Amino acid sequence: MRANFIFSEVWIGLRRNLTMTIAVVITVAVGMAMLGVGLLINTQVSMLKTFWYDKVEISVFLCTKGSAIPACNGKAVTPAQTKALEARLKGLQGVKEVFYEDQTTAYDNFKTAYQGSPTLVEATRVEDMPQSFRVKLVDPDNYQPVVQAVKGQPGVSQVMDHKQLINKFFDMLDKLSFYALAVAIILVLAAALLIGNTVRLSAFNRRRETGIMRLVGASNLYIQLPFVMEGVIAGLIGGVFAAIILIVTKVLLFEEIAGYFGSGMAQLGWDSVAQTITVTMGIGVVICVLASFVTLRRYLRV
Amino acid sequence: MIHFDNVTKVYANQNRPALDHVSVDVDKGEFVFLVGPSGSGKSTFLRLVLKEERPNSGAIHVAGKDLARLSNFKVPHLRRRIGCVFQDFRLLPNKNVYENVAFALEVIGKPRRFIRKVVPEVIELVGLEGKAHRMPDELSGGEQQRVAMARAFVNRPMILLADEPTGNIDPATSIGIMKVLDRINRTGTTVVMATHDAAIVDSMRKRVVELEDGKIVRDQSRGVYGQAY
Repeated sequence: MRANFIFSEVWIGLRRNLTMTIAVVITVAVGMAMLGVGLLINTQVSMLKTFWYDKVEISVFLCTKGSAIPACNGKAVTPAQTKALEARLKGLQGVKEVFYEDQTTAYDNFKTAYQGSPTLVEATRVEDMPQSFRVKLVDPDNYQPVVQAVKGQPGVSQVMDHKQLINKFFDMLDKLSFYALAVAIILVLAAALLIGNTVRLSAFNRRRETGIMRLVGASNLYIQLPFVMEGVIAGLIGGVFAAIILIVTKVLLFEEIAGYFGSGMAQLGWDSVAQTITVTMGIGVVICVLASFVTLRRYLRV
Repeated sequence: MIHFDNVTKVYANQNRPALDHVSVDVDKGEFVFLVGPSGSGKSTFLRLVLKEERPNSGAIHVAGKDLARLSNFKVPHLRRRIGCVFQDFRLLPNKNVYENVAFALEVIGKPRRFIRKVVPEVIELVGLEGKAHRMPDELSGGEQQRVAMARAFVNRPMILLADEPTGNIDPATSIGIMKVLDRINRTGTTVVMATHDAAIVDSMRKRVVELEDGKIVRDQSRGVYGQAY
């Protein structure tokens, strides 16, 4: 009886303010989706950081014959230079391990990395691949002294610090998540105001009913619940749309990023997506309830 | 049943009190007319009984409860024991007679079986048998007021407050309305009726409390509306 009555009231209210309800649903959907995307990017970034920082190393590429890098002067590195470099690297402070990668290994790695483009693989010969040292650091943040120590040494063509490359990418993702969250906060505010207005309109439309309910002694909860439910249902529908947007984002954006990084990268799982959807829906409903109650206190004297 | 002790009510932004040190007692089962010109404080009296307004000073007891001590949470329970009828009927235009009366029970969570049993009884009590499925705009003013009375009485309140119930109704129909009020009073319900209608007050010969400028100027049992009018 009770539930029946409340739901019929809610349905009438939602239908009477159809355009307002649609506005609420859209705002909540976009706002919650933005919030969700921001949270997902944050999760992804922290997952990537733990994954990559373990593997960060410095690559010291050595000269090949006919190299275009000016430091090489077009000459290949000599075995003596290679030996000297290895000794120098191993003697540096903060260096954990030094691996030597010869041309054959480099070529094999290159072949696996560019499996997708056979023309490129065919055009490349083993002799084109540079030899290199891979340097692992005790503290990945402290790469500067090592880079300085080997840069410009005879036989060195290029020194590459992976962390610098990765950090650029992380900075971009961080910015993206910051903007998504900023937009989300603005939209959540807009949603709260819209819900407030919808509830106010509903309260005005039904002032006869609520007046009589007050008079015959209906409890405050009973009078207010249909209005609050209206906000909650609009918020929930918005939340469902937000969930759909998040699932699409996961498939189109995050799996794309994962594909870009290649296999073995820490992937954002469906469990994180489900968690984010739950969180955003919860926030959406709480905001709807709060906005409704605050409005009712002003416009529905009990 | 209703006990006012030295009650004063001043509305915000008004210098003159709407009720000025009013003390009055209404016993269980009494029928009381509240008379006086517009602005004399009749409606304020009724609103105070419902705890729609709070007095500035003085104590009000309704059905044994001190209203000053009654928490907002319990006000709805107080109102369930008080029925209300107004000059403008206040029916829901999109509900028929039966639904209008049943609404009062639905919103306080009464079971459907109970509603199906008592609503037809009350519709018959107010003399609207056979009209349960009419819409309010298909009824005369007198009939609409009977619906309002059925709604006010359906939960068997201890007190029925009527604020000029015959104000929008012609004298001949008013007699019928008064008969229904009298019938409700005979079931043991205390009735307080604010009115301007001298003919009705004179014909009923019930207790009359007269207000003027917020003060009680007369309180007599089996009274008439007054010589001045």
